Amino acid sequence: METHKTAQAPSEHDDPEVDVTEESDAARRQRFERDALEYVDQLYSAAMRMTRNPQDAEDLVQEAYTKAYSSFHQYRPGTNLKAWLYRILTNTYINLYRKRQRQPQQAATDTVEDWQMAKAAQHTSTGLRSAETEALDHLPDSDVKDALQAIPEEFRLAVYFADVEGFAYKEIAEILDIPIGTVMSRLHRGRKLLRGLLTDYARERGIKVEPKTPKAAPKKGGTKTTTSKNAESDAGTTGGTEEQEAGR
Amino acid sequence: MSADCEKIGDCEDARIQRLYEYLDGALTHEDLEEVRSHLEECTECAHEYDLECIIRSVVRRSCTEKAPDALKVNIMARISQIRVEAGH
Repeated sequence: METHKTAQAPSEHDDPEVDVTEESDAARRQRFERDALEYVDQLYSAAMRMTRNPQDAEDLVQEAYTKAYSSFHQYRPGTNLKAWLYRILTNTYINLYRKRQRQPQQAATDTVEDWQMAKAAQHTSTGLRSAETEALDHLPDSDVKDALQAIPEEFRLAVYFADVEGFAYKEIAEILDIPIGTVMSRLHRGRKLLRGLLTDYARERGIKVEPKTPKAAPKKGGTKTTTSKNAESDAGTTGGTEEQEAGR
Repeated sequence: MSADCEKIGDCEDARIQRLYEYLDGALTHEDLEEVRSHLEECTECAHEYDLECIIRSVVRRSCTEKAPDALKVNIMARISQIRVEAGH
């Protein structure tokens, strides 16, 4: 059973009794290092989903922590430190990084989405065979990251915050500074898209996992699909596509 | 789909949304019980539910990265620098 509602639980440190106004700089720095830096791996993972590369993710996290430290006196101890940090991370990302890539990204969003939506809908109605469910479970991390990366950013972040970090709708609304209804609709659409993509990958791999069925001699020069991501046509004829696929 | 599925949503989209809310811990106690008992009876919705669980666990598993060791050190160094510049 899925229970990952850990986001609200305050860190066992993050003492609500701290009097921020009386605190010395050294004490504040120590408190920051102890309480806030605890989330560095998590913020880094989120930053990777935002920037897509390790160097930018590192820069982003460092920048976000620097900002967080500068306003740490505004954070009320014992409230939700993790969500507070995520909000700073997200704002920093939007201000610093997204501007750079804005145009091409947003231009493509609508079309990609419509296309993917249609696919997602198709999948849910077809249903999955159990071999594919199995394949879904065994998808390599690289496939899953690719799939997440392929969905529009505003959906991706909502899905990431909910499904990886276990934030509640209300917390996501605060982090992204959007209404709860918008959080829910982004989650709904994002999850659907993600599911469509993952199912695609799983289907390709699921078919490969099955023992090769002896096929009639492959037709030469027949209806050959050149852009063959179509695992079905490859499975029987070529032996070594697994490696190739894994590098996708 | 069984006729009972209507209990949790009147179209496929609504049912999926319901399952999301169920998994997200966003339902009232009463609604939660309704979904829970429906999942026990309906294999199709249970299958949807399983899929969603698998997807979430796969996504969580794949997206857990460890920050480079130097990052924490760099952050603290940068913070110390700020303090120095600010004249503390």
